[in-house]
Amino acid sequence: MNCKELAYMLADYIDGSMDPQLREELDAHIAMCEPCMIFTKTFLVASDKTRQLRKEIEYKIPPEVRSRLETFVRAAALKFPEKVNEYREQVERERREKVAALLKAAIAGRLSSITALLVETHCAGCPECKEYFDGLLKASSPAAGDPPMLIDSHVTRLMESLPPGEEFFLA
Amino acid sequence: MSAERWKEDEVLLESLRKGSPGAVDEMLRLYQGKIFNLAMSILKNESDAEEAAQDVFMTVIRKADTFQGNSAFYSWMYRICVNTCLMRLRGKRRTDTVSIEEFMPVFTDEGMHASPMDDWSKEVERNALNEELGRMIRKYTEELSEKYRVVFVLSDVEGLSNEETAKILGLTVPAVKSRLHRARLYLREQLSRYLREGKAS
Repeated sequence: MNCKELAYMLADYIDGSMDPQLREELDAHIAMCEPCMIFTKTFLVASDKTRQLRKEIEYKIPPEVRSRLETFVRAAALKFPEKVNEYREQVERERREKVAALLKAAIAGRLSSITALLVETHCAGCPECKEYFDGLLKASSPAAGDPPMLIDSHVTRLMESLPPGEEFFLA
Repeated sequence: MSAERWKEDEVLLESLRKGSPGAVDEMLRLYQGKIFNLAMSILKNESDAEEAAQDVFMTVIRKADTFQGNSAFYSWMYRICVNTCLMRLRGKRRTDTVSIEEFMPVFTDEGMHASPMDDWSKEVERNALNEELGRMIRKYTEELSEKYRVVFVLSDVEGLSNEETAKILGLTVPAVKSRLHRARLYLREQLSRYLREGKAS
């Protein structure tokens, strides 16, 4: 190990990730080489000092910036819940429309093959859904109103398991 | 990062998502100082840092609902801050930075130290110089290009691990480690010159 290698190995030395054998070599070099001894000492002291002086090095937020920031963020946040609700309502509307579209496509026999397979597999293990889908096909029109909650949630989960961008019915 | 910090973050994120009263105040209490410090250390200008901090908190509020939770909340927030600040830096005239190469140790062809070493470690260990040293270290890091500055601030000022810093900046851990080491070598050399000159005068 020469002085140059040593200087760059100090990164491992300082964070304790150094291989013990290398560390022995490094210590042996330092013991024999005055410039490296001083270099290492001053390097470690400078790094320790930096951490010790963190608070002095850091930028303090001035009180007037603090209060302006607080006023701004609070005011903006006040308008925020309405936006979130709007967004959530829209998501819910879209979800219901999708469930209805899937049921319609199922009756018309227009499910994409991957969706049909998912529905079939699911129904094999879920008597409630099987009964519902069988009923749909017999009646050949969706029951009035939204499907029961259980069916609704299963169908939603089914749609979510489709790969993104995958349409669940045939064009 | 401590378990306590984790816990506080979990609670904060939950209440931000629900839009609970007090969530925003709690976020400001925990992070205002840190975000301002981080923004300042990248932008080096108070009014820029203030605007950036506004953007950061608005983004956090808006996106709290979609935050995936596959990284820690604070590191997500720091990442938003770093991105916001770097975006602001873009197209701006950069303030002067020094070339870090000029402050790297110099070696002979045989790989030995090329210049004599002065041992100032005892001087620095005494606490009498602390205030002055803190000011100087800050000045020296301001002169670094932001490539090194951001890594240095996250690691040595914010106290994050190399892994956390790497995640926030989208760098590999070895890249973080190498930048950090160069920043520390630079700082050692700057302090060395400063203390040597101080002695001479």
